[in-house]
Amino acid sequence: MPLSARGRRIADELVEAGPGVRPGVMGCEVVQHEELCVGCGRCVAACPTGALSQDDWFDPAQLYAAPPGTGRGALAAALHRIARHAPRGPIPVPERCLTFRGIIFDAARCAGCGACIRACPTGAVAAGPVPIAGIDHGAWAAAEAGSRL
Amino acid sequence: MSPVEAAATVAPDGEVAAATDVCERKIVAFLCRECAYSAADAAGNARTPLPTTIRTILVPCTGRVSPLHVLTALAEGADGVYLAGCLEGQCHYRVGNLHALDRVAFVKALLDAVGVEPARVAMFTMSAADSPRFVRTARSMHETIARLPRLRRS
Repeated sequence: MPLSARGRRIADELVEAGPGVRPGVMGCEVVQHEELCVGCGRCVAACPTGALSQDDWFDPAQLYAAPPGTGRGALAAALHRIARHAPRGPIPVPERCLTFRGIIFDAARCAGCGACIRACPTGAVAAGPVPIAGIDHGAWAAAEAGSRL
Repeated sequence: MSPVEAAATVAPDGEVAAATDVCERKIVAFLCRECAYSAADAAGNARTPLPTTIRTILVPCTGRVSPLHVLTALAEGADGVYLAGCLEGQCHYRVGNLHALDRVAFVKALLDAVGVEPARVAMFTMSAADSPRFVRTARSMHETIARLPRLRRS
């Protein structure tokens, strides 16, 4: 199948960059919204390059940033009512507490394929523009707006 | 100030636990249908006296209880929350009680991080036939909560 003009430009970028995986080379840059993340780990399972992994620590301060109306927001509201002071640092997460693990993103291993964006059920992983010469990011963002890639 | 007035002044602050104040406390107990609820039912049939602070909630499995349930109970008026499920390795849904154990450990760490006593939350395991253990755990939880001040809410 012949490459589109955009695909050809990205392929040229890849050739210039040489072998190896670089952030965003395959078409999108991953942007994280930690306040929306529920730590389900689907992005970790979906990531083909191992750029995402799950942490053994959870920062309670992340709860307070969760939007109201979500399960995390309700949890934060309940915790806020009984809290005596602001959360003190991250807490260890037990083995079977799968949904409270932080997600670690290693930008150096990210290929920008967007698999994590498709896998994310809450929209906590989103796509941002890629810095590629000759591509109008404004037009690209407008075209991609509303789509989940 | 008379002793009665003094008691009325200190009680709302929760610093001093008067005898009447202890009876007004609420402890929410999430009981698993397969084991702990049967044990509680047997204790009830035997007319064993239980602490009046305990409020039981039947759940299919302790694995159903999420940190949100526990924190909501605390935020809405409970002074303590405990889960009672099957013995380890005997969960009727294989690993529900193990998930619950880890979630309780997580909630304890979360409470500790914001300055609330972790002892307000606990998890016990028991077999369906062990109603004396249900009574013992209910009384021990009641005593733990009676020693703590009332939970302050904003």
